[in-house]
Amino acid sequence: MDLLHWFIPWEESPALVVLISAVAVLFSRGCARNEPEFRRKAAFWAGLAAIYLASHTQLDYYAEHQFFIHRFQHVVLHHLGPFLIALSHPLPLLASGMPEKGRKFFVAASRWKPVTFAAGVLCNPFVAVVLFIGVIGFWLLPPVHFTAMIDWRLYRFMNWSVIVSGLVFWGLVLNRRSPFSPNLSPWTRIAMMLAVVPPQIVLGAIIFFASQELYTVYTVCGRAIDGLSAVGDQQIGGIILWIHGAMMSMMGILIVVRKELVSERLLATRSHG
Amino acid sequence: MFKREQMISVQAFHLRRCICGMMAAFLISGCFSHGDWRVEEVAGHLPDLEFTLTADDGGAATAKTYGGYTLLMYFGFTSCKTECPVSMARLAHVMQLLGKNADRVRILFVTLDPEHDGPPVLRRYITQFDAERTVGLTGSPADIQSLTKRYRVAYRPRSKAGNGGGITHGDAIYIFDSQGRARLLATSSHPDEDVAEDIRRLLKAGH
Repeated sequence: MDLLHWFIPWEESPALVVLISAVAVLFSRGCARNEPEFRRKAAFWAGLAAIYLASHTQLDYYAEHQFFIHRFQHVVLHHLGPFLIALSHPLPLLASGMPEKGRKFFVAASRWKPVTFAAGVLCNPFVAVVLFIGVIGFWLLPPVHFTAMIDWRLYRFMNWSVIVSGLVFWGLVLNRRSPFSPNLSPWTRIAMMLAVVPPQIVLGAIIFFASQELYTVYTVCGRAIDGLSAVGDQQIGGIILWIHGAMMSMMGILIVVRKELVSERLLATRSHG
Repeated sequence: MFKREQMISVQAFHLRRCICGMMAAFLISGCFSHGDWRVEEVAGHLPDLEFTLTADDGGAATAKTYGGYTLLMYFGFTSCKTECPVSMARLAHVMQLLGKNADRVRILFVTLDPEHDGPPVLRRYITQFDAERTVGLTGSPADIQSLTKRYRVAYRPRSKAGNGGGITHGDAIYIFDSQGRARLLATSSHPDEDVAEDIRRLLKAGH
């Protein structure tokens, strides 16, 4: 099979291409001006590439027609991609990559009351946690899932909603400073990452242990992979939600502990010594 | 005292936020509400019928060719041994249940194996079912793919699916009104009588 064929988008989305290209240009310009560490650049590009590849290639066909691949796609769009982007702490670099006029416009826009209010609400720790879990649960309600998978507009809205809620959540928990909310202590951020684990485990387990087909849309419209039963497909999808969702939280907690709590303690012992 | 007032205003803010959230949830859930149809209602979620294919008599066929008819569209292939004959027999039974009304209805059998199912093969195949009111449709793999993509049907042209990739297909019957608007989606889990009843309702409404 032709390898390049895999990179042809299954359904073209000009909005996604424009947005990802714009972000890529801003980040490159920001990097040229500030020369950040290699680690930051690598995390950002890996995250951006992951989001693009998961949503704008032939993989999208399989995500539309196989439940477990749909769950894998959402692990990338909701967890892995935004996690890596947030890890690179990209906002200062993106801002410095903007042309002078654009930056002035963004600074003015970010001070506009409705924007500060909306950003403040989204970046509230409680709201971010509820939104992060809410988008998983809402789109997995069987009737909602059915409609979202047959209506291409809702399908795109679903994928955008998980990307945005992922960026907000991981952006808050992996960074010390947030431009739209008061700085959160490492302990608050660890608590936020712990809080999203049990709902994902419960949802994953409900799907895994369901003996009936919950998501009939894949049988109705046809599955991409021949020979895998409806319940088998559902079980793999449940396992992905159950294990991988929780795993990303653990990775995030380890990073916060290592970057902030351990280094603080080291500094404290050094100053005492 | 000041602290207490502050707490109350914070609580009021949270309450307001909860109410706003609930209202948004209701609004969104409105988009997913189903009418009292017996099969799945998909009006507004799937696009209007549009295709350019070849009919089993060898002539060109578009959605306009069947304007005025209520259409039941099913995707299958003639060498399918299991689901397709069952679904086609079911559709023929639904037509029987419709009685005279069936004259205002057409079944469209779209092949998912266009390399094999040319017009003569399709013609032979549909004569086994409701031959008079069924049309077999075929075309280039690209034309078939654009129609399957439009209605979210799983389909990979053979060259893209790799060697030995079996043809997979769903069991959906897409029901369009006489103006080509996607209205209902019936599956094998819906009894024939329910499908017929909903089609009668569509016909009665004059669509």
